[in-house]
Amino acid sequence: MAEIVGVLALSHAPGLTGWLDKAEERVQRALLDGYGELRRIVESLRPDVIVGVANDHLLNFPLNNVPDFCIGTAKAWQGPAEWFVDWVSVPPYQVAGDPETAKTLVREGARRGVNFAFADQLLFDDNWSVPLFFLTPRHDIPLVPIHMNCIVPPLPSPERCRAVGAVMAEILRDCRPARERVLVMATGGLSHDPGGPRYFEVDEAFDRWFLALLEEGDADKVVREVTIDRMVAAGDGGTTELLAWLVAMGAAGGRKARTICYEPSPPLRCGMGAVAWDMSA
Amino acid sequence: MGIMAVDKTLASNRLIFEVRRDAAKYQRFRGDLEGTLAEYGLTQAELQAWRERDIRTLAQLGVHPYFLPQVSRLFEGAARNHNQSRAAQFYAQRMLAEEKSRG
Repeated sequence: MAEIVGVLALSHAPGLTGWLDKAEERVQRALLDGYGELRRIVESLRPDVIVGVANDHLLNFPLNNVPDFCIGTAKAWQGPAEWFVDWVSVPPYQVAGDPETAKTLVREGARRGVNFAFADQLLFDDNWSVPLFFLTPRHDIPLVPIHMNCIVPPLPSPERCRAVGAVMAEILRDCRPARERVLVMATGGLSHDPGGPRYFEVDEAFDRWFLALLEEGDADKVVREVTIDRMVAAGDGGTTELLAWLVAMGAAGGRKARTICYEPSPPLRCGMGAVAWDMSA
Repeated sequence: MGIMAVDKTLASNRLIFEVRRDAAKYQRFRGDLEGTLAEYGLTQAELQAWRERDIRTLAQLGVHPYFLPQVSRLFEGAARNHNQSRAAQFYAQRMLAEEKSRG
């Protein structure tokens, strides 16, 4: 029986690596401190593998065929994809995959009501490139990337996302080898509106309400109140990336989240923040 | 506009999807826009919007919102994409200034 040693959720907006100097100095420091704390959490948890969940950003799946959840099964990954190198502004990197863990999720998901698509080729943009740059700067922990549909309606519902997270955790615990240490990491959000009228704005009130709900730890209440309509109202093109956070919440199994950092940042065009669920509690 | 109003079948969505994924297609888009446009079976309304770099009309026709800032970067470059960058200002002028003037 493998152990889920930790669950994290964090923003991946490219301003963090691409133009952080444009944010106020206090915000820069707060975010670098917060992402530094995330790195220390990862180091202390010593995961054997990171199972990541994030929006696909319409990069791998065209609009005619968008899976809700697609698991990357390759032995190795690289990023950022060519056109995103200038934008994300991190050095090219390679990171190992974990085909056995990935395929276990696909196979066992099929028995437990979750239709995971899978792929051994996936392009990475800011979704993994920004988080990995801060959390595992040596790119030395294997990654199972799960690219999900956060922005092409119909979206998987909040309730479905939480349930998929719970099934993922169950599979990892039941079907992976004993003593394997798994970290679940959702990336995306918080409020932002790429392509909409609020492109240069952030919805701080929504973000703080959302974070408070996660801290309260009542997952039923979260999926009841954090509706897709509510997320869309807080920033149409991007805020529904928080569906990935609800997958993480499902994997964390009803524990209370702790907010690591939060900064509403119009210069980064995103509500930037992170939470951790303590799985030892 | 918005994600709920996307026209998944709009050919421009396929064009943007492919150009970002393929360096050769991106180079062609930069150097020969008409050649790129000719390959996707676009409507007259789409063709006119692309020629005029009119991302607001592309949005109204059903291009996915997430693609719109990316179109600004296809035209104006992606590096250092802060709020004063050419790409972000392009977005502000084409999407938002017009919105305000139309009330």
